[in-house]
Amino acid sequence: MHNQEHKLYEKLGALTCFVDNAMKAILTVTPQIISSSTQLPTAASHLSDLSKMTEDGTLEVMRLTEMIQDHHEQMAKDLSSVVEVLQAMDCATLAGRLQNVTSVLDRDGNCLTEIMTALSFQDLVAQRVKRLVAVLDEVQGRLMELVVMFGFQESCEAARDAGTAGDLLKQLEESKTTVMKQKLADDILAQFGFK
Amino acid sequence: MLADPNMKILVVDDMVTMRRIVKNILKQLGFANIDEAENGQEALQKLRADTFGFVVSDWNMPVMTGIDMLRAIRSDERLKTTPVLMVTAEAQQSNLVEAVQAGVNNYIVKPFTAETLKEKIAKIFK
Repeated sequence: MHNQEHKLYEKLGALTCFVDNAMKAILTVTPQIISSSTQLPTAASHLSDLSKMTEDGTLEVMRLTEMIQDHHEQMAKDLSSVVEVLQAMDCATLAGRLQNVTSVLDRDGNCLTEIMTALSFQDLVAQRVKRLVAVLDEVQGRLMELVVMFGFQESCEAARDAGTAGDLLKQLEESKTTVMKQKLADDILAQFGFK
Repeated sequence: MLADPNMKILVVDDMVTMRRIVKNILKQLGFANIDEAENGQEALQKLRADTFGFVVSDWNMPVMTGIDMLRAIRSDERLKTTPVLMVTAEAQQSNLVEAVQAGVNNYIVKPFTAETLKEKIAKIFK
């Protein structure tokens, strides 16, 4: 009986030691956990911005590509009319040369279509970013549960400044808020007499 | 190609860039009568309000997915014969099987080329 009690106390002691070590380990990573949980929304926001920036860039390339396609279409029509006139005037050589130009326009047209389809990368990027943001939201939720569960007391603001990742995100955040559109910059410069 | 160049085509995708790409290729292929919808629900409303000869749809969309829209089309007496082409990043075999079982006419995996779209449309309307 005494022996069993002794073993039980031994096991309880080991368990207490394990729990104590676990708590110490958790407290050691507490600043990182708080830091991560506060940085994740910013990271998600930057990812969403990235998606928006690729969309804006893609739409601009599309606009210009479509404009060139429209110009090509008009040129092809005009060339076709000129070729008809030249053929009627028996200027076969000149008509042939212009038909070569039409062929080049056709080939360019195929390249422009390939540029358009290549831009579908933006859709794939946006889908992956959306999934990443969902994962970050999930991780943030779990970290917040940990923070609440263990009653971490450290200031979230202090933790935000810790670590390289935190510094980088802070820099990104600052760069985001200080970025100015060229038009606004030009308006301000104009007020100072820059023409 | 036996497809009627005047038929009305509905392009369904939540991404404006993808709708524009598909529209552009269709235009290059000679189709000019093209309308757009941002999700399956909006597409169904347009399909029920008008007459479309062909639907090109994404799979992953908010509100109503492409596969749910396809099932709704196939269970609608007036729309059930409308050809539907799925253009999607869902490249899993199970997705393709699910789409075939739901009655898709063909399936394109993103990213794709204009040639692939042309070939699939030719197969649908042969």
